[in-house]
Amino acid sequence: MSVVQYADPSVSRRKFDRELAEYRALGEKYRRRGWFLVDFEFPRVLVALCAPNLKPSAVVVGVAFDYTNYDACPPSVRIVDPFTGEPYKFKDLPNPLNRALPAQEISIPGMPKEQKMLVGSVQPYMQAYGPDEVPFLCLAGVREYHDHPAHSGDLWELHRASGAGRLVRLLEIIYRYGVEPISGFGVQLVPQVGFNYGQPPS
Amino acid sequence: MPHGNEIELNVVVNGQPVPVKANVEAPVSTLIEHALKQSGNSGQPIANWELRDASGQILDPTRKIEDYNLHSGATLFLNLKAGIGG
Repeated sequence: MSVVQYADPSVSRRKFDRELAEYRALGEKYRRRGWFLVDFEFPRVLVALCAPNLKPSAVVVGVAFDYTNYDACPPSVRIVDPFTGEPYKFKDLPNPLNRALPAQEISIPGMPKEQKMLVGSVQPYMQAYGPDEVPFLCLAGVREYHDHPAHSGDLWELHRASGAGRLVRLLEIIYRYGVEPISGFGVQLVPQVGFNYGQPPS
Repeated sequence: MPHGNEIELNVVVNGQPVPVKANVEAPVSTLIEHALKQSGNSGQPIANWELRDASGQILDPTRKIEDYNLHSGATLFLNLKAGIGG
């Protein structure tokens, strides 16, 4: 969805150019980590995040940024198909960016009080209302987060000065939760058993 | 020009490179403090930041800089943590 540029375009463009210049100055270091700057033209940037530790290496996700009105408002961030640039639906996300929550002690019914089990859980940073919806990155510093009515108490202005919407900071988080945890390829084999037949009788 | 126990590191704060002089016997937290000060980041406490080396290893703020065998010219990455979210 396109957004009207209401902030001074020269300001947004200058800040966008700074993001790109700083990224490109260290581009070789980022590439070694698997970050590829695919496309950039104000106000949009597309970065492909890869997993160089895999053999063969894999392109995991694309991240599309829209810096319209930056930094009067934060950038829009979408996880996209790195080849088409189309945002993934929630059901198609390669990774929901899970964050591990502290394990909780839970009493076991029928067992003595002191016998408890530790239950770990995860919470995804990618949120959507349903599997066919385009999810958003639920994180301060992201336009979709601050536009959401549930976060009206956490204003962008509280995060702007600390660089919460900066390109590298957001890439770092998406990479940390979406790519770094990938330790290998998961292969599912489903054997099917049937009869083998010889020559059919005449 | 750094001398003695001093080394000069390149700390990339949310993408912005900042040269920081550091005493190798000081804790990593002082390096973070200096990098934030020099980059004009004062809005968030040190605990909300995370420092990594080029290979992605997280540097413990309570440990000494010399524990990580860093040399002058090394690049470190300081980023605002993700926080609660989700």
